[in-house]
This record gives sequence, C-alpha cells and structure tokens, in this order.
Amino acid sequence: MDIQIFIDLQDRLDQETKLFEQIKDAVKELYKTCRLASANLSKAHSVPQSQTKEVVESAKAQFAEMKQKISELSKLIEPVTFYRYHDMWSNAFQTACSLAIFSIYLSESRLATPKDIEQVLGQKVNVDDSQITEFVITVEEYLHGVISLFGELSRLAVNSVIVNDIKRPQDISTFASELYSGFQLLNLKNDALRRRFDSIKYDIKKIEEVQYDLRVRGLLG
Amino acid sequence: MSDQETAKHTKKPRFNKQAPQPSIAPTENMSESKKSIIQQFTLYRDTLDAHYDQRERVIKASRDITALSKKMVFSLLRITQDPPSRVFKEVEDKNTMVLAIFSRLAQDIQGSDAFKYNSNSTHGLQEYIEALGLWVFLRDNMLITKGQVEEMLASSGVKILVTDNDYILGISDLPGEVNRYCINAIGKGDRGAVENSLVFLRALKEGIHLLVSSGRIRDLNKKLEVLESSLEKTERAYYSMSIRESEMKAVNESKGVMAVD
Repeated sequence: MDIQIFIDLQDRLDQETKLFEQIKDAVKELYKTCRLASANLSKAHSVPQSQTKEVVESAKAQFAEMKQKISELSKLIEPVTFYRYHDMWSNAFQTACSLAIFSIYLSESRLATPKDIEQVLGQKVNVDDSQITEFVITVEEYLHGVISLFGELSRLAVNSVIVNDIKRPQDISTFASELYSGFQLLNLKNDALRRRFDSIKYDIKKIEEVQYDLRVRGLLG
Repeated sequence: MSDQETAKHTKKPRFNKQAPQPSIAPTENMSESKKSIIQQFTLYRDTLDAHYDQRERVIKASRDITALSKKMVFSLLRITQDPPSRVFKEVEDKNTMVLAIFSRLAQDIQGSDAFKYNSNSTHGLQEYIEALGLWVFLRDNMLITKGQVEEMLASSGVKILVTDNDYILGISDLPGEVNRYCINAIGKGDRGAVENSLVFLRALKEGIHLLVSSGRIRDLNKKLEVLESSLEKTERAYYSMSIRESEMKAVNESKGVMAVD
C-alpha cells in the first residue's frame, strides 16, 4: 500500500489548519468589536428615550469597524467552501446582527430588515437560502439576531419605567407582540433557533407585567 | 378584500389537521409595521421550510446509501465461500442501485450546498467508501484511492463532492471488514488471503496513525483503536493458524517416519 496517500492527506490537513487559525483570529477580532458596541449600546437602558440618539451615535464607530472586520474575514473564504467553515463565525455573526438590529430599533423603533443589515455590516443576507456565490450572512443568523432583540426589549420596558418614561412600555409591548406574531409563522425544527424561539414568551411576559403594574396603579392615565 | 381573505383561509385542505399553519395574512386593520413584519416572516418561513425539506431528503438518501452499502459488504464477505465471479457480479448490481440513489442525492448537494449538507450526507458516503474499499481490496489487493471513489461516483453521471474527511473516515472503517474476511479465510486455510489482510491492515494502521497526529479529524482516534484491535485479532488468528499448521506438519512427519520404520 502506498503510504504516500496518507502523506498527501496529512499535507492537506496541515494546510487547512493554517486557514482555520486565520479564521479563528478574524472571528476573535470581530468579537472584540462586538463587545465594545454592546457596551455602548447597553447605555440605552439607563437613559430616557430622548437620549437614545446619542447612545446610537456612540456605537457608530464600532459598527464601521465590524463591517471592516467582517469584510476581512469574508476574503478568507471561497463561496463554495463557505459552509465548511461557517460554524466558526456563525455565533459572532448572530451577535453582530443582534447589535445592528438593536441599534436600528433604538433609533427608528422598527425591525431592521435584511437590507438594513447589509448596509450596516456590509454583507448580503441570504434571505432565500439559495446556493451562494459570494460571502453572505445567513437568514438564520439574522433571525437569531431578531430573537435577541426580545431580551433587550424586555429590559428596556423595565428600565424605561426606572427613568420615569411610563409611556414607552406600551410601545415596546405593541412592537414585541407584532414581532412575535411574525415568529409564530415559522415552522421551526428542533434546533437552536427553535430553542431560542421558545424563550421569547418569557420576554413577552416580562413586558406584559410591566404594563400590568403600570395599569393596576393607574399610572397610564 | 376581507371576504376573499376568509374564503382563502377556510379552504384549508382537510388532511392538514395536525399541523395548522398560523394563517395570519396582512389585512387592512393591521398596522403598517405589523404588515411588513408578517410579509417578511412569510418569506423566511418559506425559506426555512425549503431548507428543512432539503436536509430531510439528504438524510433519507444517506440512510438508504448506508443500508445498501452494508449489503454490498455482506455480499463481498461471502467471497470466501462463493466463486469470486458470482460475488463480484452481485456487488456490481448493488453498486448500480447505490449509484442511482447518489444521483438522486446529487441534486441537493451541488455547489455551496455540498458542504452545507455534508454533515447530513457524510455518513452514507463513508459507508459507501468502506464498501468500495473492501471491493478494491479483495479484487486488486490495494487501498482504494480518493480518486477511485470520485471516479465511481462520477460514473453515475453526477458530480458528488468527496471531502478528505469523508474519505479518511470511510477507509478507517475498513479494518473491521478486512478482519472478518480474514477470519473466514483462516477457516478455509487460505494462507495467501490472511497474509494479504495482515499486510493491508498494518499499512493502514501506519497511515491512519499519521493522520491522527494532525489532530484535525474528530472520531479518528476511536477508529484507530478499533483498527488496532482488529489488527491484533487478525494477528492472533494467524498465529493460531500457524501453530496448528506446524503441529500438523510435525504429526505428519512423525507419522511418515513411523511408516518407513
């Protein structure tokens, strides 16, 4: 038997290891920026709605940086082998999407569309999940990002009461339930998306409790 | 408008009882924001459904390929009892059936989808590589190459990606079958077959050992352990065969001496 077969295979594995390292580094970089952006955006929980503009502004630089880092990562990947390595950055992309979605909600009180994501992060969202010929953000990553918004919304409902903004929970509640009815359209299988979808109802409940507290005390006028 | 809407929704197919689709469609009393959310998510639903269906088809094909490949292996192992020509003919027929499944599978794993669904298709492919590997070993006394696997798949007229992982994990399952073949061969006293198996297993062990050290392929460690135990079993079996043979020789010789006396 020819041992050369195995030597060749080993060479190829070693070569791929290099690419793995590069991807890992790029993802680590992306995470770093995401954490900074997250730190900046989370200030939105401690200010009244009138000041969220500045909060969103303060994270602008990080979003530009994220776009840059994602573009660097994308250059390492050939579209045809995209899914070979996809797992390595998928989590980071979910985080990046959730930050972009949160930021757009803060500034415009609406759900960021895939087009918005493309604008902020610089890569197309593969909405129809077709075979790809370029680097993309997957529709699952986008949806994970949207699910993360529910957590932020429930915190925001609580925190807006703290900063004495008792009208805002109503808006948040309406928006959250609209968004939830969107998610209820999906036929999810037993995967990560499904598990996280199942947790949305707790966020909705929290938001409703805030509403209840305000109403029962006659604070909503 | 609302009449049309309700008409559309009451016309649900009757068999659809167990999985009612939440039938929210944009209606006029919906707010603009809700309308746009519903519209978007309807699109995502279709996208995800298509993806889940495709994955399901790949899993099914992979399962069918696994089952048929196992049958190929069993046919091949009968080579110690049946005439090789008949065995190879039988395997040839089964192989044609597997290739037909592969050509069905191929539609779902083209382009970037090849890697996307690799984790769903790899099991069947590995099992097939194992069967082909045993075939090539019995026919040519050689280790099948990745090129040979690809060529065989291409002969069905479709393009199917074989990754290094698929290939390595496929051939690392070979020792178990070679060991089985070898034990049968010992039963028949086929020294040549045992000799060949041993050489093959030893070389395979060295090769796989080389790849384990790269640490990149999951599960390969476990497979190497199985390989080593197969090798040991084969060596022990060969050892007892050799002992028995020399014993017999000694007995025969002493008989021969007695006869002369």
